[in-house]
Amino acid sequence: MKKIKNKLGQEEIVGFAVIIIIMAVIILFFLVFYLRGERESVESYEASSFIQAFLHYTTNCENYWEYLSIQKLIFECEKDFVCLDGRNSCEVLNSTLRGIVEESWKTGEDYPVKGYELNITTAQKELIYLKEGNIGANYHSARQDFVSGGIKAEIVFKAYI
Amino acid sequence: MVNKKAQMKIQQMAFMLIAVTLFFVLVGLFFLRISFSELRTSAELIEEKNALLLVSKLANSPEFSCENAFGGIKINCIDSDKIMALKNNINKYSGFWGVSGIEIRKIYPSGNLVECSSSNYPNCNYLKILPVPSDSGVGVSNFVALCRIEEINNSVQDRCDLAKILVYYGGAE
Repeated sequence: MKKIKNKLGQEEIVGFAVIIIIMAVIILFFLVFYLRGERESVESYEASSFIQAFLHYTTNCENYWEYLSIQKLIFECEKDFVCLDGRNSCEVLNSTLRGIVEESWKTGEDYPVKGYELNITTAQKELIYLKEGNIGANYHSARQDFVSGGIKAEIVFKAYI
Repeated sequence: MVNKKAQMKIQQMAFMLIAVTLFFVLVGLFFLRISFSELRTSAELIEEKNALLLVSKLANSPEFSCENAFGGIKINCIDSDKIMALKNNINKYSGFWGVSGIEIRKIYPSGNLVECSSSNYPNCNYLKILPVPSDSGVGVSNFVALCRIEEINNSVQDRCDLAKILVYYGGAE
């Protein structure tokens, strides 16, 4: 009789411990979700306008007809085009875009924008990757896709706040 | 012995109640955080969108936009030759846009601020279309391409720079 009572008591304690463990795991799970700083992206109209505007910018890379816009230079860079003055189109694209982004998005502790990333890719390769400042959890971003001569290019700009 | 068992049962029940309450509180906090974060994001987005739409609407209006002048329709593109013509006739547009001030500043290529006039155009980087009064209220800006037709090596070419259009509204108009 005493043995049966002891066994019942042990079972109750085991059951109680299991319930406590399950509850602790569930609480930990929600705590992790609650405290975790998730990366939040917001589609930005300013960033989108920035991409649209810089695509029209006329660079100093010339072909036989004209000075090329950034939009045209992206596809020329994909084809490893050399400008009339002998410079590589990708180098011109890189230096022009670096200048544009540095002047347009001032970064630092005193500015609302803490950092930025600009990425231009085609199906074949990554043409441009520019990064500056602190890459935080929250950012405003814009993406633009366009096609020319069967080549698809994608531009992604992220401004970290 | 029976008393001890009852105490244990009561303790067990108390722990369970505390755990269940904590669980629901955390679940509530979790969902509240998500819903408030979404609310804040959409409020910020709508605010930004409204301000920028006002500027974009202006930049894409016939008096400002490039339209078909630079090979196809371009969005957020301003014809600076048009702006110079508009600047000389700005009195005819008094109160037309319902804003208190409009300026365009070239961002790239960068340089010292030089206001555009008929004598120095296009060697300038600041177009004051509607002069901004001192109590002009809120200013909103957006990126635009500032394009013009230029003669280079005896051939006519399109030339676009990167600029920001600044629109002030809410003050004395």
